[in-house]
Amino acid sequence: MSEGDPPDRLSRLGDRIEQARAGEKPPAPAKPDDRGLGGALGYALRMGAELLGALLVGVALGWVFDRFLGTRPWGLIAFFFIGAAAGVMNVYRATVGGGRGGGAR
Amino acid sequence: MAAENGPLEQFVIERLIPLHLGKYDISYTNSALLMTIAVVLITLLLVVGTRRAALVPGRLQSTAELSYEFVANMVRENVGTEGIEFFPLVFSIFMFVLFGNVLGLIPYSFTFTGQIVVTFALAIFVFLLVTLVAFIKHGIHFFTFFFPAGAPVFMAPILVPIEIVSYMSRPVSLGIRLFANMMAGHTMMAVFAAFTITLGVFGFMPIAINVALFALEIIVTALQAYVFTILTCLYLRDAIYLH
Repeated sequence: MSEGDPPDRLSRLGDRIEQARAGEKPPAPAKPDDRGLGGALGYALRMGAELLGALLVGVALGWVFDRFLGTRPWGLIAFFFIGAAAGVMNVYRATVGGGRGGGAR
Repeated sequence: MAAENGPLEQFVIERLIPLHLGKYDISYTNSALLMTIAVVLITLLLVVGTRRAALVPGRLQSTAELSYEFVANMVRENVGTEGIEFFPLVFSIFMFVLFGNVLGLIPYSFTFTGQIVVTFALAIFVFLLVTLVAFIKHGIHFFTFFFPAGAPVFMAPILVPIEIVSYMSRPVSLGIRLFANMMAGHTMMAVFAAFTITLGVFGFMPIAINVALFALEIIVTALQAYVFTILTCLYLRDAIYLH
C-alpha cells in the first residue's frame, strides 16, 4: 500500500465495488438437501410432500367443483388425475429444476 | 384424552389462559407461549447482540451478525438484488421457524412447528404474499405463468389445469413438509423413550438410539428452517421475474 493521494483512491472505490459485484456468480439454483442421513430423510419427505400436496389440492378442487356444479363424481375423477399429474411434475421439477418445488418453471 | 402418555401426547394443546371472543376460542395456549418465547428470544438476540457493536464481535454479536449475513446472502443469491426489499420478511420467517424448531427440542417444552395449523398458516401467508407480489409486478401478464412457453396451443386444456393445481399445491407441500419433519422426529424419539422403560435391563439400547436421533433432530431443525426459507426465496423470485 503506497501513500497515493486519498481522494483518488476513494473515487475509484465505487468502480472497484462495481467490479466485485459483477464478478459475483449469478443466482445458482440451490441444492439444500445433500447432507448425510438427515439430508436424505429430508429429501424423501420433501418429495413425498410435493407428490402428496398436489394430489390433495387436486382432489379438494374436484370435490369443490362437484359440490357447486352438481357433477359428482366426474369432477373428482378428473381432478384426481390432474392432481396426480401435477404431483409428478412437481417432483420432476424439484429434482431437475435445482430444488424448486411446485409451480416453478 | 386418547393420546395420554403415548408418543403423541407431546402435541396436545393446553389452554393456559382460557379466553373467548364471541364463539371463537382464542385462549392463550402452550403453543402460543412458546411462540411468545421465540419472538422474545429473537428480539433479545438481535437487540442485545448489536447494542454494543464492537469491531471484533463477541459471541452474541457474532451470532446476530452471522444469522443476518446468512439470510442476506440467501436472499441475494436466490431472489437476486431486487429481492433484498423482502429481506425483513424472509429473515423473520427464518428466525421464527428456526427458534420454533430448536425450542421444541428442549425437554418438556412444546414444538409449535409440529402443529399443522401453524406451518400451514405460515405457508398460506407466503403463498398469498407471493401471488400478490406477482400480480402487482406483472398485472394480467401473471397468467402466462400457467402455460409453459413453447408448448403447442392445443395442449392448453390439459396443461393449464395441471399448472394451476401445481401452483396451488405450493402452500400445501410447504406446510406439510415442515410439519411432517418435526412431528415425525419428535414422535420417533418418544417411541424410543417408551421402549427404554419396557425393555428394563436392555433399556440402554433405545437410549443410545435416542442420543443419535437427537443429533439427527438438531440437523433437521436447522435444515427444515433453511428449506422453508429457501423455498420462500425461490417463490419470490418466480413472482418477481416470472420466467
